[in-house]
Amino acid sequence: MTNRWKNISRAAFAAALMLSASYAEAAGILTIGRREDSTTFDPIKSAQNVDNWVFSNVFDVLVRVDKTGTKLEPGLAESWTISPDGLTYTFKMRDAKFSDGSPITAEDAAFSLLRIRDSKESLWSDSYKIVDTAVATDPKTLTVKLTSASAPFLSQLALPNVSVLSKKAVEAGEEAFAELPTASSGAFTVKEWRRGDRVILEKNPNFWQADRVKLDGVEWISVPDDNTRMLNVQAGQLDTAIFVPFSRVAELKKDPNLVIHTDVSTREDHLLINHEHGALAKKEVRQALDMAIDKKSIVDTVTFGIGTVANSYIPKGSLYHYDANYQYPYDPAKAKAMLAAAGASDLKLNYVVNAGNEVDEQIAVLLQQQLGKAGVTVNLQKVDPSQSWNMLIDGDYDISVMYWTNDILDPDQKTTFVLGHDSNMNYMTRYKNDKVKDLVAAARLELDPTKREAMYVDIQKLAKDDDPLDRPLLQPLYQRLPQGHREFLPEPARPLLPRRYGQELIGSFAPPLS
Amino acid sequence: MSAGSITLSPVGWRMFFGRNPMLAIGAGILLAFVLLAIAAPLVAPYDPILQNGEIRLQPPSLLHPFGTDNFGRDILSRVIWGTRIDLQIALIGVAFPFVIGTVVGTIAGFFGGIVDALFMRLVDIILAFPFLVLMLSIIAILGPGLSSFYIAMALVGWVSYARLIRAQILVLKNSDYAVAAVSLGFGRLRIMFRHLLPNAIAGSIVFAMSDAVLVLLSGAAVSYLGLGVQPPVAEWGVMVAEGQSFITTAWWITLFPGLSIVCLAFGFSMLGDALGELLGVHE
Repeated sequence: MTNRWKNISRAAFAAALMLSASYAEAAGILTIGRREDSTTFDPIKSAQNVDNWVFSNVFDVLVRVDKTGTKLEPGLAESWTISPDGLTYTFKMRDAKFSDGSPITAEDAAFSLLRIRDSKESLWSDSYKIVDTAVATDPKTLTVKLTSASAPFLSQLALPNVSVLSKKAVEAGEEAFAELPTASSGAFTVKEWRRGDRVILEKNPNFWQADRVKLDGVEWISVPDDNTRMLNVQAGQLDTAIFVPFSRVAELKKDPNLVIHTDVSTREDHLLINHEHGALAKKEVRQALDMAIDKKSIVDTVTFGIGTVANSYIPKGSLYHYDANYQYPYDPAKAKAMLAAAGASDLKLNYVVNAGNEVDEQIAVLLQQQLGKAGVTVNLQKVDPSQSWNMLIDGDYDISVMYWTNDILDPDQKTTFVLGHDSNMNYMTRYKNDKVKDLVAAARLELDPTKREAMYVDIQKLAKDDDPLDRPLLQPLYQRLPQGHREFLPEPARPLLPRRYGQELIGSFAPPLS
Repeated sequence: MSAGSITLSPVGWRMFFGRNPMLAIGAGILLAFVLLAIAAPLVAPYDPILQNGEIRLQPPSLLHPFGTDNFGRDILSRVIWGTRIDLQIALIGVAFPFVIGTVVGTIAGFFGGIVDALFMRLVDIILAFPFLVLMLSIIAILGPGLSSFYIAMALVGWVSYARLIRAQILVLKNSDYAVAAVSLGFGRLRIMFRHLLPNAIAGSIVFAMSDAVLVLLSGAAVSYLGLGVQPPVAEWGVMVAEGQSFITTAWWITLFPGLSIVCLAFGFSMLGDALGELLGVHE
């Protein structure tokens, strides 16, 4: 997790819901509106959700997350075995073909796994350093050896970025492949990419589950303005759209022609505190800040009641989330007293805000007033989102709000990022606690789920006590609906939509009303 | 009334107000806004930055004639307090360029030659950039905030005044009274600023009025982009920006500050036109 670009992607691409005009026919072309266009078709070169949605359409992975979003299921690997020491994984490949008709072999799978680890262009190398060797022992068998046992390894294989690519097609020219992949292992092939405008996909007849794909094609169309995109769906110019602004949900739900799909997201908006700046180094000061913040009112104002107050850095609904975690009460008077006791009664904070981000700006205005009641002066510093991330890395801030969505099922990824004391300085907070650091490392190696859960509960409690605030502020999104990696038309007329665990999209597509 | 000279007699005021309804309307609107700005603490029914979660996004009602925004703040109070900021933007945003432009234009026009060439090439360079782009780049370097906006405005806005004044000075410096002043041995400064400038400045004053409209809109635009006035201060442009995402559900958040911008701009515009007619300046 050292690469800043993958993290920027999380900060820059806002979450929301999905909106769709209900319509009867499932075949044909599905048009989907979204904020931004794709940036590449080479999965290792991107960590942005907008790209991963399309990767999920075009490429398949060895192991998938199931529809419920809680378990793993076979993808291109039909089955697998793990050696008792947890170091050797043996995958049996399914009989499947690329869109160009050539067979998908263990050789391709090994190539793809080693490429994401070794390529200079890869944004994900660090996450796959755990792979020691990956060898095709025969065309149908992939043997992977790890440098050490790793509980999250299988979850990591479900990431669209480590999709199985055709070795032949990639080696024919990486640059060209990133522009227009000539062979795809997934449900669709890329027909055309009009940069900045749309991605046009058409059905891959050679896909191993082609009989379950009812659509002839998908068009991902970028419509940056929220209001325009919503109008396009209402007017029928788009079949569906992602990112429904929170402020519009209630109103759009009233439109009888529209269905709004909501789901629990793994997005959490965190208030980051720079532990190296003055009084913020004191634990009591950080706890006082937590008590000075009325999180309920932030959730109500910013998400229009759609979100919930989060109490742990592991989002609700995710593996090992500790629901009974302590939540500091809202008590500005006590916060003020605590600040005075800690010698920080006239605390002044510089708050770095992502300019132009509606949610961030609203949270900033609310926090400024709430902290003001506890005697804390907050100076808002609006900066461009591309700049704010670097300011955080440089420690050039007192507080700031950033959000995170999980990429994999396993909590290890986020835990390492926020508490693992890795190169990101614990989400740039400069938080230090060796006990937590050791627990995070141990939890990664622990293969017994019960023991592992107990470790994660400990981590969540410790983190809450130490720094209640660089842990989450709120978790937006809705009632729970099935979520998962993909869903291939579970009902006769339900079109295909990409699914990936943890991304904000989630939410099933409209079942026709007729 | 000769072109370019100010010849107002005290008795004339009532006459031309009567004959010139535009002047009365423009001045009236401006005066109303100035009074509103001065009396803001007395007139505004609520604290403009006080948030109240209980009354978010309320449509206009008797309690809140302009409704409330997504933080439960009273829009009417925010519009009234915003008057202070927006008038300040219009005044300071015009004053600095006006003064700088006038001095530069006078010097360039009077001395001519290399001085003139240097200043006018500088003007050409600044004019070569699109106005807003140049403004935004300067603000981006200085950091967001109103003071950066004023500095950017002063650096960019003076060129129009400089050109106007210079053109007038070029004509006037060959007039009889200027030649007479030179032969009487008056100093250059005296000739420039006491003899020539008063006769050259009318066009700039009229232009300043229409420039105020432009400045006001630029201020609103810059704030809209998040580079001007910073939250939670109430400013019309910021209010329009904040209300944008609610435009289909809560139109009142954007409508009232938007109308205020239009009204104030209208006032300046009217006054400018009327003054132009009165002073015999034809743009």
